[in-house]
Amino acid sequence: MTNWLATTIIVVSLLGAAYSLVTALRDRPMDVGHLIMLGLVEVLLVVQAVLGFVKLGDDQGPADSATFIGYMLGILLIPAAGAGWGVLERSRWGPGVIVVACLSVAVMIVRMNQIWAGDV
Amino acid sequence: MSDQGVATRSGPGRLLVAVYAIFALAAGARAGVQIATRFDEAPLAYTLSAVAAVIYVLATVALALGGRTSRRVAFAALTIELAGVLIVGTLSLADPEAFPDATVWSGFGRGYGFIPLVLPVIGLYWLRRTRPAAP
Repeated sequence: MTNWLATTIIVVSLLGAAYSLVTALRDRPMDVGHLIMLGLVEVLLVVQAVLGFVKLGDDQGPADSATFIGYMLGILLIPAAGAGWGVLERSRWGPGVIVVACLSVAVMIVRMNQIWAGDV
Repeated sequence: MSDQGVATRSGPGRLLVAVYAIFALAAGARAGVQIATRFDEAPLAYTLSAVAAVIYVLATVALALGGRTSRRVAFAALTIELAGVLIVGTLSLADPEAFPDATVWSGFGRGYGFIPLVLPVIGLYWLRRTRPAAP
C-alpha cells in the first residue's frame, strides 16, 4: 500500500468522524461541510484504488490479493452511501450516519494495511 | 407506503440501518472471497459466513423499508441473527478446528468489536419501540 496515502485517509476520516460527532451532539442536521468532507475521503479512496491496482499489477501485493481487492473496492461505496443515506435525515442522526461511515473507512484502511503486510 | 413505514428508518433507526449496511457489506464480501477462493478448507464456516451475509442484507433492507411485511422479515432476520451469533460463537470456541478462518459470528463477533452480538439486541428493541399502535 501507499503508506502516506493510507495515513492521510485515516487522519481525514477520523477528523471527519469527530466533526460529525460534534454536529450530532449539538443536535444539528448535516450540512454541505459534511458532504465536502465525504467527497474528499471518496477522492482519496479512488486514488488509493488506482495506485493499489498499479502496485498489484507490479506484483507488490499480498498473497491474499482477493480479500485486499474486496476491501479496496468495497470501501469506495461507503462515503457515497453514507452521504446519500445521511442527507435524507434532517436530524442529528444524519451526521450520526456519517460518524459510522468515517469510522468504518478508518477501520477498513487499518485492516487493508494488515492484509497488505500479510499479518492477519 | 403508509406512514408506519417511516418509523424504522428515521431518527436513531437511520443509524441502525447504516450499521447493518456496513455489516452486510463486510459479511458479504468476506463470504464471497472465502467461498470463491478456498471453500473446501472449511465448508461449514464458509457456508455460515454466507448465511450471515444474507441475514444482514435482509435485515438492512427490511429495516430500511419498514412496512408491515418488512417489520416481520426484520424481526425474523434479527432473531436468526441473535441465535446465529450465540450458536456460532459457542461452537467456534468449543470446536475451533471447524472454524479455522473466522466468520463474523466467531467468538461472538470478537473480530468486529462484539458489535454482531449487540446489534440484533438493539435492533429487536428498536422494532419494539417503533411498533405501530394497535388500532
